[in-house]
Amino acid sequence: MPFFIAGDCLDVLDRSCIEECPVDCIYEGDRKLYIHPRECIDCGACEVVCPVTAIVSDMSITDATRPWKDDNAAFFSEPLPGRDAPLRSPGGAAGVGRIGVDTPLAAGTPAAGT
Amino acid sequence: MDVDLVVVGSGPVGLYATYYAGFRGLRTAVVDSLPEPGGQIAAMYPEKLIHDIAGLPRVRGRDLVAGLLDQANTYEPIWLLGQAAQHVQRLDDGRLRITTTTGVEVTTRSIVLAAGIGTFTPRPLPAGGEFVGHGVDYFVTDPSSYAGHDVLVVGGGDSAVDWALTLEPVAASVTLVHRRPQFTAHAASVTRMRESTTSVRTPYVVHALSGDDTVRRAILRDTSNGDLLELDCTRVVAALGFTADLGPLAGWGLSIVDRHIEVDSTMWTGIDGIYAAGDVTDYPGKVRLISVGFGEAALAVNNAAVASDPTAQLFPGHSTATAA
Repeated sequence: MPFFIAGDCLDVLDRSCIEECPVDCIYEGDRKLYIHPRECIDCGACEVVCPVTAIVSDMSITDATRPWKDDNAAFFSEPLPGRDAPLRSPGGAAGVGRIGVDTPLAAGTPAAGT
Repeated sequence: MDVDLVVVGSGPVGLYATYYAGFRGLRTAVVDSLPEPGGQIAAMYPEKLIHDIAGLPRVRGRDLVAGLLDQANTYEPIWLLGQAAQHVQRLDDGRLRITTTTGVEVTTRSIVLAAGIGTFTPRPLPAGGEFVGHGVDYFVTDPSSYAGHDVLVVGGGDSAVDWALTLEPVAASVTLVHRRPQFTAHAASVTRMRESTTSVRTPYVVHALSGDDTVRRAILRDTSNGDLLELDCTRVVAALGFTADLGPLAGWGLSIVDRHIEVDSTMWTGIDGIYAAGDVTDYPGKVRLISVGFGEAALAVNNAAVASDPTAQLFPGHSTATAA
């Protein structure tokens, strides 16, 4: 898992990263985006365009961002709330569209300023 | 045409495989969907310094590609660029026939798939797609053809800025638009562009293109407030990056898991005559680095050479003793 998206993306959803990703591996939940850990090719194109620097390399992980690394993986490996099966490897976000559901960690994180 | 080996992909691993096949005396053709060799390095990080190439402590991406190209050209391979390997068919004599997306047919004994993350496709302009080929290009292949034109370059990466700098002395005018004030291109290139006569407009996107048989005018939109701006232009270069997928290879009967081709320790894919090397491969313990890919290229080519000619030796000899 080279890059993941931390909580700073919550309620921002700028989506510039989606436009940069050459392999279409950034998926849209409800309040934030998630990088597929096995589809990401570690090119770093997304990291520089995020306006809220929510995209983190696992080489520069901190205690604050660490839970989000596992959470990006869980978005694909665990069934999301209201779903029976995990997303696994859809092979491209465009093919599945907006998922519209977040992981329990993201859904349970209050909006900034509240 | 008839060859001994086709390398699919002209990224660093494909270029090295091409050199190696030539060194082994194999008549070799190279297929790549992009018009220029270099793969991910050329398309995504030509100006970045690479620090983990054996023997080259710091090498710029484009310099590494130039060196690999020089090395690959030692044995005069056949370059089939700007076309993707689309179909493969087994002939009665056991050889393979590849058909490319431009209709070229190549008959070969072996194939090395150095396909990386797959076929690169230029990201389309959000508007004005109907003018592609009629004033709108995704690549600058002949800068002199822009002489006298008012050129609009779209994008903020190295390709966009490099092309603006290339065309600025040739064209009547160059305007570069990018949808963010920040550029992802090499900072020194951006500085050179700002010091040139290039008109740099951010944060703008192409809202629409108009014209007749060719593009005549662009309507740009300021992304900060939605204001529209009209600009006369007769050529547009869309450099918005690329998307990649394994595309046609998915139909070749290969064992593909999570966009990677499974191979054994000889780099064999499980289909007679078809080997793979570099980022596209997967096996237990795989590490996706250029340095690993170079080794896999040598493994793939040498094993392919023996499989297609049982009298050949797996070990190719040392280049110090045998190279031309």
